[in-house]
Amino acid sequence: MTEPLLSVEHLDVSYDGAVQALRDVSLEVAAGSVVAVLGSNGAGKTSLLRAVSRALGSYGGAVTGGTIRYQGVDLAGVDTSTVVRRGLVQVPEGRRVFRDLTVEENLRAGGFTVRDAKARDEARDRVFDLFPVLAERRTQLGGLLSGGQQQMLAMGRALMTSPQLLLLDEPSLGLAPLLVDQIGEIVTTINAQGTAVLLIEQNAVMGLRVADRAYVLEVGHVTASGSADELAASDDVRQRYLGAAAPERPAAVVVTEPGIPTAEAPKRLAVEGLTVRFGGIAALSEVSFAVEPGTVHALIGPNGAGKSTCINVLGGAYRATEGRVTYGGDELTALPSHRTAGLGVARTFQNISLALEDTVEDNLLVGRHRLMRSGVLASALRTPGARREERAHRATVRDIADLLGLGPLLQVPVHGLSYGNRKRVEMGRALAARPSLLLLDEPVAGMTHGESQEMAETIRQVRRDLGLSVLLVEHDMPFVMGLAEQVTVLDFGKKIAEGTPAEVQRDPEVLRAYLGASAA
Amino acid sequence: MSYFLTQVLNGLSYGLVLSLIAAGFAIVFTSTGVLNFAHGSIVLLGAYLVAVLHPTIGFWPAMLVALFGAALVGVLINALLVRNLADPTPGAAAILMLGVDIVLLTELTRRIGNQVLPVGAPWGASVVRFGEIALPTGRVVAAGVTVVAFAALWYLFSRTDLGVGMRAAAADGPTASLMGIRLSRTAATGWALAGVLAAVAGVFLTSFPSPGVAPTIALSAFAAIPAWVLGGFDSVPGAVVGGLLIGLTSALVTGYEGDLEHVLGAGFGEVAPYVVMIVVLLVRPSGLMGSKEAVRV
Repeated sequence: MTEPLLSVEHLDVSYDGAVQALRDVSLEVAAGSVVAVLGSNGAGKTSLLRAVSRALGSYGGAVTGGTIRYQGVDLAGVDTSTVVRRGLVQVPEGRRVFRDLTVEENLRAGGFTVRDAKARDEARDRVFDLFPVLAERRTQLGGLLSGGQQQMLAMGRALMTSPQLLLLDEPSLGLAPLLVDQIGEIVTTINAQGTAVLLIEQNAVMGLRVADRAYVLEVGHVTASGSADELAASDDVRQRYLGAAAPERPAAVVVTEPGIPTAEAPKRLAVEGLTVRFGGIAALSEVSFAVEPGTVHALIGPNGAGKSTCINVLGGAYRATEGRVTYGGDELTALPSHRTAGLGVARTFQNISLALEDTVEDNLLVGRHRLMRSGVLASALRTPGARREERAHRATVRDIADLLGLGPLLQVPVHGLSYGNRKRVEMGRALAARPSLLLLDEPVAGMTHGESQEMAETIRQVRRDLGLSVLLVEHDMPFVMGLAEQVTVLDFGKKIAEGTPAEVQRDPEVLRAYLGASAA
Repeated sequence: MSYFLTQVLNGLSYGLVLSLIAAGFAIVFTSTGVLNFAHGSIVLLGAYLVAVLHPTIGFWPAMLVALFGAALVGVLINALLVRNLADPTPGAAAILMLGVDIVLLTELTRRIGNQVLPVGAPWGASVVRFGEIALPTGRVVAAGVTVVAFAALWYLFSRTDLGVGMRAAAADGPTASLMGIRLSRTAATGWALAGVLAAVAGVFLTSFPSPGVAPTIALSAFAAIPAWVLGGFDSVPGAVVGGLLIGLTSALVTGYEGDLEHVLGAGFGEVAPYVVMIVVLLVRPSGLMGSKEAVRV
């Protein structure tokens, strides 16, 4: 048997000498093959890639056991720059294109290690063949490309070295289904040209479709491995990562009395003729919809549809160019964001924005800020009134943590939490302000099917127990279908459909714009 | 009218020298994230080397030694001190650089003492006349050299692999290192470039109409800080624009001090650059050409 291109044996990785990210991980990549590593966030997938590309050091991590061999040579003591020169290149998670460099300069930086001008020109021509859009936009700044184009640029940048082994970290993250299909095809093409690919994915459908072999990584440990077909057929993998066995839940309207009432009853949110322009580009044009009190309303659409822009206007982070948003009798579009919170509107963020060094409890207490009455002086002197108030706030925060299943984690610093739990803390912080309307920005982005099912259950429970309205922005269609009563669909900043999940799902316009070629 | 034009040209040529220093601040900042408060001492070091060496080896060889010396000191500060910080935060690095500045400045002051050392520039105290306008030859040479230096920098950063690699490393170090770019090398190159620019500026700051090398030159190099800040911390073109603006402002305010005295009081020329900086930052918090902190919410 010939030696595999990459072999990882009994690898242990830990950060800061304490947090163990990988335990006894072994895997092989044969020359010219595609291997996928599946797993949820926090499973250790990125740490595995960083160990292979020798980049752990700059993140405070270290290999504490096991070996990594590439082309038969042990990589211990070899630096990133050297492995790149030997043809092993990583495309980092989140694409990380150089935003202020043009497309061409990005590619040039990718080919930094190639000294032979002719080899480099050939590599660039191959990249332009593979991604014609990059050739069209060669003089544009990387930061101005769309998410899908940035992914292509990140892959093209790595291909500039004509690698033997390409490491891809979550290439489909945050992309709409149509683009995910396209990225999958590109991986297959790159592989057909002779490059082996080690692909990290939480989108198991995509990972298993393009891979020959796959490994499932859970909490730093390989729990399953085999050919892609074997894994796709395994019941366990199907249920956790592919969502095949999960039952479709009908969106039942909850009529029971809420357990912990909100400070105020939810009101009707009305968005009328909302237009937002950045420079000359209209991110939203004349969008109107309404969220009825006590319902779950979903705002969906492919990447770049204007969903985040919309929620940013509602939360007060962006200003509307035209149109108005009213909550009950108050006009949100006329208020700064701290006043919006005062009206009982709270939000979470797409890219988690928590104080990482602080405990879960302290992060949740931040959400209570607008309800805190004691002044700085009273708090500093710890007057009886201030102490009483603090106890009350801590009690409320504990209730909310229990509701979200965070009770045992209250004293843990946020940086020690998994991604799914961080998302819960974000939601908890918003809930701590006792809102009557909760805005959720992509609550399940980057989660596996199993995790997003749990999140859906949490949202249902929050709505039931706290009796509030929820507006959620998502592009995970099945997630929304099982949860929302009303759905508004955006595409290119315009509303293209509205109705119950069942109605929207049948709308031909939505199928075309949103669900991708395979569904239409 | 000719008085006004003289002031403008004086201001612009002085501004170009400031922009050399400001560009050094910006390059070190983008390539290693360090606020290099020792930059003023490196400017002085460059001028000092020329002043002590030119009587024996001649001006141009002395200039060459000064360029290498200032670059080497920059590279060593980075390699021996900055990279070995136990807590490599921008704050700690800035405090470290204040310390380095005190050490360098104290040693240079001890060596120079009360003297004012001439740098022995071949253009001496000669003056170039354009009609009614007279400019020191040193200033004209400074303007020419600065323009050439910035053209070379532009070529480096936009046309060479090393320059594109340095920009990539400045934009996103960990990702650049995944492309095989060695961050220790791009950082060393940045410090060396800044040292070269500092030495060049040092010589022009100490030749006519300035009397010569004295420790106060390190302080006048600090006049480049408002130029750097208002151009934007991380932008070389910003440093050029900032330098010109500050040079022009201080030349005009100083030149018309007699007329302004009743309104602004004497000595306002020294304060004016900072006033300009504050006004610009009020309107554009990231400077004239600095990159905005883009945060997606």
